[in-house]
Amino acid sequence: MLEIKNLHAEIDGKPILRGIDLVVRPGETHAIMGPNGSGKSTLSHVLAGREGYTVTDGSATFNGKPLLELEPEERAGEGVFLAFQYPVEIPGVNNVYMLKAALNGIRAYRGEKELSAVDFLKLVKARVKAVGLDESLLNRPVNEGFSGGEKKRNEVFQMSVLEPRLAILDETDSGLDIDALKAVAEGVNALRDEERSFIVVTHYQRLLDYIVPDYVHVLSKGRIIKSGGKELAHELEARGYDWLTSEAA
Amino acid sequence: MEALERILADLAPAGPLAEARLRAAEQVRAHGVPSTRQEAWKYTSLASLKDVAYRAASEADGAVLDAPSLAALPLASTSPHRAVLVNGRFRADLSTLDALPAGVRVTSIAAAVAADAEHVATVYAEQYAPEAVFTALNAALLDDGLIIEVDADSSLDAPLHLVFVAAGATPLLRTPRVIVRAGRHARLRMIEEFVGQDGDHGLTNVVSDLSLDEGAVVDHHRLQNEPVSTAQIGRVRATLAANATFNSDSVTFGGALTRIDIEVALAARGARCRLNGLFATTGTQHVDHHTLIDHQVGDTHSEELYRGILDGRSRGVFNGKVLVRRDAQCITAHQASNNLLLSRQAEVDTKPELEIYADDVSCAHGATVGELDTQALFYLRSRGIDEAQSRALLTYAFAEKVVETIPLDSIRHAIEERFIGAGALSELEALLKQS
Repeated sequence: MLEIKNLHAEIDGKPILRGIDLVVRPGETHAIMGPNGSGKSTLSHVLAGREGYTVTDGSATFNGKPLLELEPEERAGEGVFLAFQYPVEIPGVNNVYMLKAALNGIRAYRGEKELSAVDFLKLVKARVKAVGLDESLLNRPVNEGFSGGEKKRNEVFQMSVLEPRLAILDETDSGLDIDALKAVAEGVNALRDEERSFIVVTHYQRLLDYIVPDYVHVLSKGRIIKSGGKELAHELEARGYDWLTSEAA
Repeated sequence: MEALERILADLAPAGPLAEARLRAAEQVRAHGVPSTRQEAWKYTSLASLKDVAYRAASEADGAVLDAPSLAALPLASTSPHRAVLVNGRFRADLSTLDALPAGVRVTSIAAAVAADAEHVATVYAEQYAPEAVFTALNAALLDDGLIIEVDADSSLDAPLHLVFVAAGATPLLRTPRVIVRAGRHARLRMIEEFVGQDGDHGLTNVVSDLSLDEGAVVDHHRLQNEPVSTAQIGRVRATLAANATFNSDSVTFGGALTRIDIEVALAARGARCRLNGLFATTGTQHVDHHTLIDHQVGDTHSEELYRGILDGRSRGVFNGKVLVRRDAQCITAHQASNNLLLSRQAEVDTKPELEIYADDVSCAHGATVGELDTQALFYLRSRGIDEAQSRALLTYAFAEKVVETIPLDSIRHAIEERFIGAGALSELEALLKQS
């Protein structure tokens, strides 16, 4: 599904990613862990197509398409979804209207018919219940005045409506208390199936107790320095990152 | 302006107001057309109007539009109370004013003058400052317009919709005037909508004078949607008695060159006004708003929010003056001007102007000029919304702020249609509320 080869990227001339190799197959959940400044968020953003990063070498292929050459909305059309670490507040843009535009944008990209407002609302109502988002937030401006937990829940809710093939969760656990974390993880787990893949980017092992990964990769200074199964996350929790980063150096 | 001199030279008013009109014409001649050397016209040059062969719109010019042509024009409101003026002339046959409630009267100025000159004599009593030369011109050429009277404690069940149609095969100088008298505790919501037929190259020189008695509430919505070939110079003046409220929304999408002056005199305690404005321009459009809020006495209050969205090589001007007179204490006056530049060639000049001669005053003002938020843009695109639509959505959001508090769907829908398509959002919102 996703094949990243020797990916190098920099921001303002400063190298951040320095040779990432990663293969994600359908249905797999990969956790990317690592200390602050290791390039975790950069990897998420480069995959989603945020401006400001320059890819200097390597490639990322998504279902046979050259992902890095696509516009952000084309990537969404291909089925990539980024759950933001800091979901953007957009005053004046209605939450549910944005989602309708998004879903129909993706459908148009795939050559599918637009969903009518009535059918769309049916879908939305079902999904909003499933992720436990307060229904009154639907008719509010995107993320404006939402609590930290509501913002993350809104990301998962959007994901559940847009049904991506690959979801990238960028530090979705940051700023959440344990109850909110559990709720968000439940929402994510409900979306896991044999086709859908996840990349879970996190600093802490805590989230991985609830979203159990198939693989764990440790990122340091822009490279994956260790990969393993879910037990690697526990080892990191117990021993920190130092033993790995010093080993790598 | 050669054309203007010719128009004034040809002026031969008859009837009881002839003398007053000639006096106004004399002041127009004395002041001349404003130049950019005058502070009030610094950013708005009238050079593009100089060589246009305007002629004064005649009674015959008022007859050019028929009902099917009117129906073909997209109008913002479907209110049952509608008064139509074509090239500045009231057209009873195109208007629907039969259902006005008792205590509300709409009369054409031409009819009022014919019946009773005293009725409009106040229009001619004034002296005109040089920067207000177009108000003098309006008085000199004033053949028609509307007088709207709302008696004490009276109100309308739906907005009063005034439609000004510009329809000239040759460039016309149109000079309608609107006179509004709202009695004690009267309530009036009115829309002044300016539209036109493609290819019109005229100049609409319109003046609206409103007086609000004690406790009256007037909502004045102005929608400038004339063709981008038409010029407009307009003035709105409101005088408020004690505890009266004046809410003004000035929305400008159309016009090649638009200059609007809005002046509010808060003349007695408890009077308050809210002035909101929105303009969205592209190509070489030019929109200039000058507002003046005159806090003449204490315990008067004003709020002002103007937003501009400029694309292409268009230009916007906002000059918001707040005057607090000597010893007018316990004043609040808040003003904000926010502008969005969608193109590098677009330009906006925004200037708050506070003149305060009292000490117990809470005044705040702020002006911003910016571009679309790149983070928000990326967020929307990452969700699958293409760049053009994402930009449109964010632009709409910026515009919507100005009208979010207006309980008038027609103006909100006009803004929705302009940026994201008719009904795009409102239909979904309505469905969501139902379910």
